Amino acid sequence: MNKENIIEVAGLCKTYPGADRPAVDGINLAVGEGSFFGLLGPNGAGKTTFLSMLAGLLKPSSGKLLIAGLDIQGHLDVIKQRIGLVPQDIALYPTLTARENLAFFGSMLGLSGSRLDARIEECLDIADLNNFAGSRVEIFSGGLKRRLSLVIGLIHNPDILFLDEPTVGIDPQSRHFIYNSLRRMNADGMTIVYTSHYMEEVEQLCNDIAIIDHGRIIARGGVEELLSQHEYNIIRVRTADEIPAALQEKIMALPYIQESRLNKNGLTIKSNTPQQALLELVSILQQNNISIISLSAGMDNLEQVFLALTGTTLRE
Amino acid sequence: MHRLLASVCKETKIILRDREALFLLFAMPLAFVLIMSLAMRDAFKEQGEGIIFPVIIVDMDKNKVGRSVISAFSVIRHFKVDSAASSGRTDEAAIKNDITYGNHRFAIIIPPGTTGQAVRRAQEQMGFAEGNQTEAVPIRLLSDPTMQGIHRSLVISSLNRILQGIEAKVLMEQLAGLAEGSTGLGLGMEEEEIPKDIRVFSEVAEEPVSRDSSSHAMPTSVQQNMPGWSLFAMFFLVIPLSVTFIKEKQQGSFQRLKSMPVSPWLLIGGKIIPYFIINQLQFVSMMLVGIYLMPLMGGDLLNIGNSPASIAILTVSASFAAIGYGLMVATFCRTSEQATTFGGTSVIIFGALGGIMVPKFVMPPFLQKLTAISPMSWGLEGFFDIFVRNGNVRDILPESFMLLTFASVCLSVAAWRFKTT
Repeated sequence: MNKENIIEVAGLCKTYPGADRPAVDGINLAVGEGSFFGLLGPNGAGKTTFLSMLAGLLKPSSGKLLIAGLDIQGHLDVIKQRIGLVPQDIALYPTLTARENLAFFGSMLGLSGSRLDARIEECLDIADLNNFAGSRVEIFSGGLKRRLSLVIGLIHNPDILFLDEPTVGIDPQSRHFIYNSLRRMNADGMTIVYTSHYMEEVEQLCNDIAIIDHGRIIARGGVEELLSQHEYNIIRVRTADEIPAALQEKIMALPYIQESRLNKNGLTIKSNTPQQALLELVSILQQNNISIISLSAGMDNLEQVFLALTGTTLRE
Repeated sequence: MHRLLASVCKETKIILRDREALFLLFAMPLAFVLIMSLAMRDAFKEQGEGIIFPVIIVDMDKNKVGRSVISAFSVIRHFKVDSAASSGRTDEAAIKNDITYGNHRFAIIIPPGTTGQAVRRAQEQMGFAEGNQTEAVPIRLLSDPTMQGIHRSLVISSLNRILQGIEAKVLMEQLAGLAEGSTGLGLGMEEEEIPKDIRVFSEVAEEPVSRDSSSHAMPTSVQQNMPGWSLFAMFFLVIPLSVTFIKEKQQGSFQRLKSMPVSPWLLIGGKIIPYFIINQLQFVSMMLVGIYLMPLMGGDLLNIGNSPASIAILTVSASFAAIGYGLMVATFCRTSEQATTFGGTSVIIFGALGGIMVPKFVMPPFLQKLTAISPMSWGLEGFFDIFVRNGNVRDILPESFMLLTFASVCLSVAAWRFKTT
């Protein structure tokens, strides 16, 4: 974050009426201009609520929110002109063609005449949808719809692009197409805020990451920074037979093991001295005639960081 | 302006490409109007049982005949007598005005001096008095032309029957008086000398009250049914309108629009204009059916009165009310199933309460009061003013005002919901 902050959030909270706990619970955050910022968290962690507040769709219950130095309270229309949103839903009119969808949303953003026509052509190029421009969206595949949804968010050339899980349910080819497009736009200076529960894509795309759970930011930094921040290591064992609960208790009683959790056909262990823990673990499993199918140790991806922080996996 | 135009274009394309919605908006109401108008034309003729008619009796006689008419009507279960004399309303013009605005359905006017004239007429007719100059007493019946023929006939025949009874009583009194005064055994006249056809009162003729004094045309079933079912069809757009909007919410395009600097009024305007045009097309097509197709199918011709400007104002007002209501329903329903069920049912309730399915005067009194809450009732009364009572722009202003007020409230609620949900 060597550039000026384009998003600044202080004590941001959102509690839905009737909810017993806040969906977003006191988030403090600053995102630098030109960042590719990833917001990683499991379903229900508060990602969409947080993003909706950033995009001006939801009013915060409390806290301060500045976009490009402007307080969102009182400058909403100016801010909305500078941001683009690619929602989690496809958010297109199925009975309109790709070109008609672009023309409508472009007009809503104040584009008209030759400027609108030019931007429609550019967006069709970016999404590689020229051959489908006159086709109704209802006949598009999921991937084509996502590509069109992405470029609608770009039609007015925003300074910040918010993407809410934009690759859900699409084929790998379209996913890579979207990744490449986003990388290009970010390289051209656009700030991108990307939410996902796929840690692989956040790892691949984002240079600045926040992990969110229960409405709070629980870790923040670049990928390397996050991986090196955590003292605990994770050991995962997959076994041929189910580990009895009594054996798990014995494992928990071993030295070097801080936490353990039974999974389907296996066990996950948190340890701050993984080498010793591994030896002890293998030994006790052998004594109890439990065959090991696979064994991994260390903290080599964000999922493990997340697991270490929350005790749950991202996809649970 | 460009944004509004783009929004209207988008909405129009979506509607035109939705064949089911077009079928619902045009073909179904047309079929419905045709079937209901033709079917109910005959069905209405059979009705009348259990109905209570409010009848106002203007007793300017204030003597035996007047009192007898009031007491005779009071005991018939089909009538609820409002004695004009007791409420101080004896001005014929005011009573007529009340009828043209639908406050009363019938008024019986008993002229001053009716009893004296009846007695004189009876004496002259029976030869007890000299001369034959006293005319039969004209008791008048003013009626609302929107009433069904069967109901009008019921009131006329009841009044004639009551008058015949009073007539007989007057004659008997004269005979009794003569008998008391005679010294012989007989009544002073031979049986063959008693006139066979003595009439004290003239036969009651109905006087339909219309704003245009030159026209006393009775309404046809088409004139009663066509505007009602047209209003019903206009309000039925609540279903495609709300379903389109809910789909926009479910598909996420509404969320995307909310992330853009777009006023909720612009989004509402984008929806109002195409549906407004649809409403006008619906109305025109249904009027054309009433004028051209209905007579070909054995129905009555639709008479649309003499004030096209009134029709235009009322149709525009009804259309805004229907669209406003549709948008309000759309912003409160979460699923298209909810919108279809709630929207459709509420329109049917509005129609039933509004006197479209069952005429207002057939309803029990408490339900008649409830009709005031149905915008379709306001619209229907307005169309009756134009089509049946030959009213003009001034006559439909109260109904238009009510419809536009309803539209404003609904649209404001919809705009608030657009903004906050």
